[in-house]
Amino acid sequence: MEASLDLSRWRETPRGVGYRRWTIASTGLRQMFQLRFFKILLALAWASGVALALIGFLFGQTVATGGWLETAAASIGPRAQAMAQVVGGLITLYPDVCIGGWYTLVFWAHSHVGLWLSLFALTVMVPRLITRDRATNALTVYLSRPLTSADYLLGKLGMIVGVLVALWTGPLLLGWFLSVVFAPDTDFIIYSFEPLLRALTFHGIALVALSAIALGVSAIGRTVRNTIPIWIGLWLILGFVAETPKAPEWLQRASFTRNLTETRQGLLRLDAALITASQSLPLIDARFAENLSRAGDKARASDFDGALMSLGVFVLISSFVFTRRLRPE
Amino acid sequence: MHTAPTALPSPRRPSRPTREFIIETDRLGKTYGAQQALSDVSLNVPPGTIGLLGPNGAGKSTFIKCLLNLETPTTGVARVLGCDIRASHRASRERVGYSPEQDCHISGMAGCEYVTYCGQLSGMPMRVSRQRTHEILDLVRMGQERYRSVDTYSTGMRQRVKLAQALVHDPEVIFLDEPTNGLDPSGREHILSLIGSLWSDLGISVVMSSHLLRDVERVCDRVIIIGHGRVIEHDSIAALKTRYRRIVELSPSSQPERFVAALAAAGAAVTTLSNDRLRVESKSESIEWILQLMRAARLPPAEIIANPDGLHELFIQSIATSHGSQS
Repeated sequence: MEASLDLSRWRETPRGVGYRRWTIASTGLRQMFQLRFFKILLALAWASGVALALIGFLFGQTVATGGWLETAAASIGPRAQAMAQVVGGLITLYPDVCIGGWYTLVFWAHSHVGLWLSLFALTVMVPRLITRDRATNALTVYLSRPLTSADYLLGKLGMIVGVLVALWTGPLLLGWFLSVVFAPDTDFIIYSFEPLLRALTFHGIALVALSAIALGVSAIGRTVRNTIPIWIGLWLILGFVAETPKAPEWLQRASFTRNLTETRQGLLRLDAALITASQSLPLIDARFAENLSRAGDKARASDFDGALMSLGVFVLISSFVFTRRLRPE
Repeated sequence: MHTAPTALPSPRRPSRPTREFIIETDRLGKTYGAQQALSDVSLNVPPGTIGLLGPNGAGKSTFIKCLLNLETPTTGVARVLGCDIRASHRASRERVGYSPEQDCHISGMAGCEYVTYCGQLSGMPMRVSRQRTHEILDLVRMGQERYRSVDTYSTGMRQRVKLAQALVHDPEVIFLDEPTNGLDPSGREHILSLIGSLWSDLGISVVMSSHLLRDVERVCDRVIIIGHGRVIEHDSIAALKTRYRRIVELSPSSQPERFVAALAAAGAAVTTLSNDRLRVESKSESIEWILQLMRAARLPPAEIIANPDGLHELFIQSIATSHGSQS
């Protein structure tokens, strides 16, 4: 006995490998963004972007000549008006220090928010990258199709990139764009550009490191019960231990969060911005200048090269782990 | 090298350029440490419905996995649909479907979402894949449960959805590893008839690995028997049956002892089975000689079943022959 089959046929040339990788990434992202937890993280991330835009906008409107600060100061009295004019003058005379320094500070603060949100997101995401596919033998489904393990990994990497862009880079770029688009003059665009590039470089490094580590951790365990504790152990417990004052150097470098912190300090150069401000600006209060300089010293990266190297080692070890584990069982 | 001596019936609706062979292997081998899972497998398999038989651990699944590049062959070369599996890595699997033996699904997806996704992974545009998904799910008799998460499916439903994902991209050949495992009798009946129609109606070749020899005998026109990692037999079922001894089962209405005596006197090997049936090694493909013998000896009526477990018999004999030749 045979069934009569009445099916449509598909004769077209299959779409390329780029489409298939995109399918893995976009489907994974769609599944992630259906979770309520992710929706909350997204709301927080984009709220931080809007906050960044508002801060930038207020800064521009405040310090610009003829801005609301000057107008408000004029209504108080001539002394207040003079002080407001001094602030405006500083921006005009030292745009690199004032605007560049301000945006460095804002991006530095935003990178904390972005990194933490990304780490929370990855906690939920790590088991969904490779662990679940190994647990349900879905790897066989992927690899019996016209895909290689590299295509599969690139698809999963696309998921991580998507999440990090949605939670971190996207809000940052939106915030920067909105803050400069309403800025009183082009100085705000020109002098905020370098801090922006530095922030994006840090994003790039964090993205590579976090992606590799997340994929590595996801490939280690076969159950969600194993994977999440490994991720939390690497992130929070090792991070906490590495932050203790007497922790040896090797232990400090074993924490990827500590390495990322060092990389941030080294790349965003908040220390340089603060020290330059304290030295270049004719500040009225010497104590304020001293405090700025001291804060700059505190913000200096103590082990930038070591942190970068350690992140590289993390990436290598993780890559070794996930490439070894990507065989159907 | 094992080749195909007998021609296969062409599909009723040939839809693709006909190929001489869907699988070509030359000295294909696979070792796991000291264990030789596949050894010097050289085959040219023409299109059709092919059964892959062999005892547990014979190397059937390894053979399929090597052809799909899920395992890297240690030696030899293989071509699937004319594409070298190593050199044309992705292309060799573009028109191939696979339904593995073990349970496999992508967690958190509804059945139809999962099958659509599998179509997209094979390069189908989303809309086309979704349309084909619903057609295929209708075909494997998945109703409203297609909108439920795959994680909640019963074994039978998972088996159907596995078959659906293997067919969604309209492959030229599909590999089915134990496709009827876990199905209830009516589901099994339906899936077998569906598999049987794939070649005849759509021109989709099927390579089916199964322990259920009756299933293979029913839907396949050709078998490959693998034992100890080697190909023992590869031919059409009809041709194989002529090469091995033919078995006839007799169920006499009365006086079975007279049947035994008459058959023994005629020089036939007779065994009495536990259900009182007589198992006779037939001299020829026809049972005419038994009927003549019954007439001549005035034996009472009997039910005669020719080749009751033809493939089973073939399988046992070929495995035994292989053991004999190895020792």
